[in-house]
Amino acid sequence: MVLSQKIHEAFKGTVERITGPRTVSAFKEKGVLSVSEFILAGDNLVSKCPTWSWESGEPSKRKSYLPPDKQYLITRNVPCLRRAASVEEEYEAAGGEVLLDNEDNDGWLATHGKPKETKCDEEENLPSMEILEISKNKTIHSIPSYFGGKEEEDIPDMEEYEDPDNLIETDAATLQSTYLVAHEPDDDNILRTRTYDVSITYDKYYQTPRVWLTGYDESRMLLQPELVLEDVSQDHAHKTVTIEDHPHLPGKHASVHPCRHGAVMKKIIDVLMSRGVEPQVDKYLFLFLKFVASVIPTIEYDYTMDFDMGSSSN
Amino acid sequence: MAEKENRRVLQFAPFQSSVDEGFWRRLSSLKLDTLGIDQSPIAITGFYAPCSHAQVSNHLTLLSESFPHEPSEQSSESIVTRGNRNRCPIPGILYNMNTLESFRALDKQSLLKAEAKKIWDDICSGKAQEDAALLSRFLLISFADLKKWSFHYWFAFPALVLDPPATLIDLQPASQYFCLEEAESLSAACNGWRASSLTADIPFFLVTIASNSHATIRPLRDWDACQGDGEKILFGFYDPCHLPNNPGWPLRNFLALIYSRWNLERVRFLCYREQRGFADMGLSLVGEVLLSVPQGWRDCQSVPNAVGWELNRNKKVPRCIRLAESMDPMRLAISAA
Repeated sequence: MVLSQKIHEAFKGTVERITGPRTVSAFKEKGVLSVSEFILAGDNLVSKCPTWSWESGEPSKRKSYLPPDKQYLITRNVPCLRRAASVEEEYEAAGGEVLLDNEDNDGWLATHGKPKETKCDEEENLPSMEILEISKNKTIHSIPSYFGGKEEEDIPDMEEYEDPDNLIETDAATLQSTYLVAHEPDDDNILRTRTYDVSITYDKYYQTPRVWLTGYDESRMLLQPELVLEDVSQDHAHKTVTIEDHPHLPGKHASVHPCRHGAVMKKIIDVLMSRGVEPQVDKYLFLFLKFVASVIPTIEYDYTMDFDMGSSSN
Repeated sequence: MAEKENRRVLQFAPFQSSVDEGFWRRLSSLKLDTLGIDQSPIAITGFYAPCSHAQVSNHLTLLSESFPHEPSEQSSESIVTRGNRNRCPIPGILYNMNTLESFRALDKQSLLKAEAKKIWDDICSGKAQEDAALLSRFLLISFADLKKWSFHYWFAFPALVLDPPATLIDLQPASQYFCLEEAESLSAACNGWRASSLTADIPFFLVTIASNSHATIRPLRDWDACQGDGEKILFGFYDPCHLPNNPGWPLRNFLALIYSRWNLERVRFLCYREQRGFADMGLSLVGEVLLSVPQGWRDCQSVPNAVGWELNRNKKVPRCIRLAESMDPMRLAISAA
């Protein structure tokens, strides 16, 4: 962990301990959520997209300002059929829409490919951004999980060890080879089909939701968080997506850093309002997931459903 | 004639396991703090839900909540575990061994048989009709190497073998099998069943379709009550599998129950699947099978054969996950320095 990030984490932790959670709504003014608005928006997400559910997580990590049974939101086993890098290449080649998330472009879509010259300047004074050194030309087909870990000393290789009592089971009614395979014509599609657990927590410091990703390979073995970055938009993998301790679950997980969430949400809300749409706070997470989808473009969770952004005044 | 030619053995897509990191952490702390060298089997809970994406099957998932509650946290925990539609609880048993040798030396055949016997006994006693999740009982053997933070494990999903196997007469998407009114009524009924916290996590059920196309979902214990009123009856289950031509594993023991409890030889079933959390009749399947008297089944004393050890990348080997990077205190200390 970079030192500045650690200092910021300590600072953030202290601030979170000594300040109370937000209780006054500043949803339209700042794009942030109070705790009760987060619960409201979460309840709405769970009822409209029921693959999401509230969970209570590790008892020792419970936040007292959230109800014990509504600590965070999760949707499990979401397919991710391709790596983000390959999608972006095709998309840019096709002149597709690309989300521009920087000061000049207001977090909106460019519809004719990514203007290369408007690459983000280093975000000035943002705290704690670990720059992840993922080499761009690192091959995607590197060992995809903990399963084949690196420096494996003297662990007996169980994979070589076929069972001696030859236990299994000749059974005509068992379907053979039910690998989790994407319906794609690629030769290597087995390597491409991953699944994700996507969770949303409430970040008390930034007063916004925060998205976390836990990845699994095609045989549901846990992915190293670094490999998760292959499924993150490559611009963000080097900037906004960091690997940190999950506030409610064990272990390190990839997360979209929330420091810009409020600002981006504010812009989205402003645009809606300028169109005469009155945004409703219980729809916040739908908007939020649409924005997050630009960071993690290939994970097919339920944000795509059509919904009404708010009550339209016309 | 044509129907006869199309008949084939009904093949089921095996259940797949998925273990969350929290499960291994909880096992490690149990082992270190409570269990010591005690190798007695532990009752655990697995969770599953119907398939909810057209491209991937769902799994039997183990989480840290899969372990029995610690007495201290019991009161606060019990609120959340029931009625979660994305977490239908399935009972399982864990044999965690102290050494790799004892892990390898476990008699897998008899362990599987023992679990199959529990399923069979629950079918024969009628208990499985009351608590249908008992049909999907599972077994996990493991060795937790807490020096290297690696976990060797192997799942089994015991399935009673029908001998001769069930013959498939017909299998098609539910949207084709039902007329439009029936499909709509059934979707609404399924969504209602899934939305109620009383029924959301009950994975086996009866579907009745009245002559006016109205669909109703009932618990298995209502079987007698829905006889004789001339309605179409289907046996529904939450299907974790996404494949268009095969039902998932839970149907196996369900067919065993249907045959041994109700003596049906022709059974119509519904593989219930969802898209984005709502009933999807295009993904869901309706099938019809012929069952013929399996050998020795009239007698509850003799347990049918069972299969169900999970393959690891199509091989008969255990799985291993290495979590040193996130669990080894030494490595964590170094990376934090």
